[in-house]
Amino acid sequence: MNTKIAIVGAGPGGLSAAARAAELGVSHVLLEAAPHLANTIFLYQKGKHVMAEPNLLPLRSPLAFTAGSREQVLQAWENGAQQLGVTHRLGAEVKAIAGERGNFSLTLTSGEIVNAECVVLAIGLQGNLRKMGVPGENLPFIQYQLDDPDEFAGETIVVVGAGDAAIENALALAAQNSVTIINRRDEFSRAKEGNLNGILRAIKDETLQCLYNSSPTQVVVTPTDGEGDGKPCELYLSTAEGEARIPCDRIIARLGATPARQFVESCGIRFPNDSPNAVPAVSAQYESNVPGLYIIGALAGYPLIKQAMNQGHEVVEFILGNPVEPADEPLLREKFKPILEGRSVDQMLDLIKTTIPLFESLTTLQLREFMLDSDILKPAPGAVIFRRNDYSDTFFSVLDGEVNIQANPDAPEQTISLHAGQFFGEMTLISGRRRNSTVLAGPDCVLIVTPRRSMLKLINSVEAVQRLIDEVFLIRAIRAQMAPDISDEDLAEVARTALIERHETGQALFHEGDVGDSLYMIRRGSVTVSRDIGGRDVVLSYLAAGNYVGEMSLLSNIPRSATVRATVATETIRLDGEPFKALMKRHPTVFMALQKTARERAASGAKAQQSEREGGDVISFLVKQGLGEATDVLLIDETLCVHCDNCEKACAETHKGTSRLDRKAGPSFASVHVPTSCRHCEHPHCMKDCPPDAIHRAPNGEVFIADNCIGCGNCERNCPYGVIRMAYVENKRRSGMLSWLLFGLGTAPGQDLSATAHHDPGAAKKAIKCDMCKDLSGGPACVRACPTGAAIRVSPEEFMVLTR
Amino acid sequence: MHQSFLIYRRARYLKLSLGLMILSLAAYIADARLEQPNGGTWLGYTLGTIGALLIFWLLWFGVRKRKYRSGSGMVSGWLSGHVYLGIALLLVATLHCAFQFGWNLHTLAYTLMVLVILSGFYGVFAYIYFPSRLMDNGGGLSDEAMLTEIAELDGECLAVADKIGDKAHQTMLRSIESTVIGGGLWQQLTATSPRRVQMEAAESKLIDLRNELEEEHTRVMRTLTSLRVQAQIQQQAQQPANPEGSDRTTLFMVDQLAATGSGDKVLAVRQLLDLLSRKKALTARLQRAVQYQALLRFWLIVHVPLSIALLAALLAHIVAVFIYW
Repeated sequence: MNTKIAIVGAGPGGLSAAARAAELGVSHVLLEAAPHLANTIFLYQKGKHVMAEPNLLPLRSPLAFTAGSREQVLQAWENGAQQLGVTHRLGAEVKAIAGERGNFSLTLTSGEIVNAECVVLAIGLQGNLRKMGVPGENLPFIQYQLDDPDEFAGETIVVVGAGDAAIENALALAAQNSVTIINRRDEFSRAKEGNLNGILRAIKDETLQCLYNSSPTQVVVTPTDGEGDGKPCELYLSTAEGEARIPCDRIIARLGATPARQFVESCGIRFPNDSPNAVPAVSAQYESNVPGLYIIGALAGYPLIKQAMNQGHEVVEFILGNPVEPADEPLLREKFKPILEGRSVDQMLDLIKTTIPLFESLTTLQLREFMLDSDILKPAPGAVIFRRNDYSDTFFSVLDGEVNIQANPDAPEQTISLHAGQFFGEMTLISGRRRNSTVLAGPDCVLIVTPRRSMLKLINSVEAVQRLIDEVFLIRAIRAQMAPDISDEDLAEVARTALIERHETGQALFHEGDVGDSLYMIRRGSVTVSRDIGGRDVVLSYLAAGNYVGEMSLLSNIPRSATVRATVATETIRLDGEPFKALMKRHPTVFMALQKTARERAASGAKAQQSEREGGDVISFLVKQGLGEATDVLLIDETLCVHCDNCEKACAETHKGTSRLDRKAGPSFASVHVPTSCRHCEHPHCMKDCPPDAIHRAPNGEVFIADNCIGCGNCERNCPYGVIRMAYVENKRRSGMLSWLLFGLGTAPGQDLSATAHHDPGAAKKAIKCDMCKDLSGGPACVRACPTGAAIRVSPEEFMVLTR
Repeated sequence: MHQSFLIYRRARYLKLSLGLMILSLAAYIADARLEQPNGGTWLGYTLGTIGALLIFWLLWFGVRKRKYRSGSGMVSGWLSGHVYLGIALLLVATLHCAFQFGWNLHTLAYTLMVLVILSGFYGVFAYIYFPSRLMDNGGGLSDEAMLTEIAELDGECLAVADKIGDKAHQTMLRSIESTVIGGGLWQQLTATSPRRVQMEAAESKLIDLRNELEEEHTRVMRTLTSLRVQAQIQQQAQQPANPEGSDRTTLFMVDQLAATGSGDKVLAVRQLLDLLSRKKALTARLQRAVQYQALLRFWLIVHVPLSIALLAALLAHIVAVFIYW
């Protein structure tokens, strides 16, 4: 088969590209591995609301797309594709792509070869589901996904796999079916704890059967004369005891997915680095480093449906050589308005690129996207950009004029100036902590203000950006923590030998008794300092990002006096002992600063050792609950809590009738209870993968979800502490308190309405979480409503001190 | 790290309350030298006004507690004031009435007030005493977790009972069906319910069953051993003539007897007894948790309605005093 454009992947991007090609009468073929168009959306649950963020961006596609139910969206695309005469082939999985512009050949798993002049890759990021890899793996009795376990009843089902998906499916299916789960190994080592307990209990209770050390060898259709027990297919296994045969109605294999990256790289496309978040760089025309091979949609770093559809439309125009003004051109023109001064958008982008070295290595497309997310700020001279101890997390680049930084709160008149081309705000970006200085605008100041997420995306996709930021961070961190008045040249040697190290949760930076003289600056995360006392590891203190450890050995050359362990994934900068000692010799102030810290720490360490051991145990417990990455956590003292649930009621009352806090849930140690409630992490896990970028951090540190949430549920899945829920959020009418109090009318104050109230059928579920009552004066309602003083909200630094 | 409502802001309300009590007492003693103490003297009116205002303010606590958006201080501060000023009220009102009691509306208001304050005393005791008890009893398990575990134990009990036979199954089912936690207020407060009786009945039936089965098992084992010995003797005797052995019947019988599984049954009953005793302990723990929570809360059923009655009586008292002045 020969065609001009082969489009791989029939998601929103691919479909839109094919539709545009069909509209223009260009020969094309749309290849989709799944049996449906737009398979990801097809697999959404019935009636799920699909949103059309970002609202500002106009849609540019021959296919219609507005926010609506899954069915409406799919129907619109289906109709559009049919009317335009899109050539598509379902169940056509592309195994390999080879060739060059004008002469590509795409090999399908069926062995068929499709020849095309250009290829558009729109396969998204999910990758392909892994198949069983045995004869018969494509028989209709086998499925590699399960949407609704309740669909099946009274069947004999074999579940293959030992991961969470396999376990969850097996447990759910076992309710109405006879289920056997096949595990290649002798235990379920990859499963989450809850699932592990669930499956082991089910096996013990014989609600399902498990075959360990077994792997499938083939699947066959039951021969008509065989002993298939009336079952349509048979699964053959090799087990430790020999071959086994299971007649069954259905096989569900949950074997994970091969990441899209493997396939993409096999096509010759390069990724900028090994980060799992990295996406391949593409030109302004969406062309990858392989000429004629174009990438659009999530794989190119654009996760939203509308973006992908626009790119599908545009990429076809680009292939045909038609100049297209990008869909975002008017938006950028509007954005640049205050500084455009007669220039075109392209000239402005060039100016940004040449002025700010950080953006030099960006492709035009990356810069456009980056600027679309960013804002231009022209503050009046003397205006405050941010204050010390603010929790804002934006990144600033100076495009023109200057800014003045007050690094020392005791001497605000001492300022450091930054000029056009420089940037600031990287400290908070990396450490996830409060601003450590106040920044004021200087004369003629023009700033590019970038949200955290866009900056992180850029760091992950452009290596030069990451390197530049790390270098600047390093020098500034040394200066801020130890050596305020030292020039860049003097720090050069220390900086040159510095190393960024990453430590997993619980991993030690160094152990008590180790020999070593390097100093560790904590760049991100936090650590505990502990000593072996009577054969037990007793935690003495906790240090967050922005501190250093290891100064004792550096100063005195004695072995390490304590063990330092990462409480969460932590990054440190390791400064070599020798160059640092040389620096201290040249600058006694650095030596004195270090010595002062060492003395203070020795004194407080001794005090901590004398105090009860329990304090240390409580710290260990809290650290295990992930409080090392928290900025503010709700703790309940169980010796004071009277179980009145006034905290939950207060939360429901102040949050549209749905409490975001579960008092009873969560672990306890000694008398400290950690209820299920948001900890407002330094690097919020929930922010990681939010398509509309709806999760933000307010200046006081509250992590909250804005109204543009699309209800995808990613944050709920990403939160390791289970504090985010999907719920219908509506303004429900509440009756007055007095009418309830005196006459028992209406709802009681604080009554949770989420379970009782019926909701508008057109409404979508959205993610809800604690916002620390940021819009109420006086602080979190849960704490203020506690009658006995049992509930408090504290930062880790506070409770580490208070538990003593 | 936490601060109890009793010492809210360095016990500022305790100090305030003590100040008010000392002041009232001093004024009363000083005034008693000049005139016969009575609700109708100037001091009596002053104390009465203070007392009435205190009562209104104390009642407002019920409203403030539910005004979750209110910015007026912490509820724990309000409770601190509620407790200490409530105690002060007892003295202020007693001095106001100058120990004059009778069968009238005024003494009714006073009595109601005393009852409200006394129930409040119990409340303070409960708030101090029971949280720690609850915590120790729970041992890190929430009520829901205990309930789930009990339900799981029930499931396991039934599964094991199925292996033993119909009788065991029925016994377990009856025991499960009659496991009641909580119940009416009285049952919650005293932690009594028919559950324990039922569980003990099930247990004693199981013990009987175990004894029966153990006897049967011993009997079977004895027969089995003697049969085995017999078979061996026969085999040895026949060996030279018939190497394959012609005692198939005997061996078959031995297998059959082994397959009756009486040993398995004994084991199963033992397992069931273990499960039952675990369930018993857990149920008792949950029952106690319910009891403590009931003890933490039931006084409000007295405290709140009585205080509403007090409000009515107080208003009547004030109106009466002004009409019959």
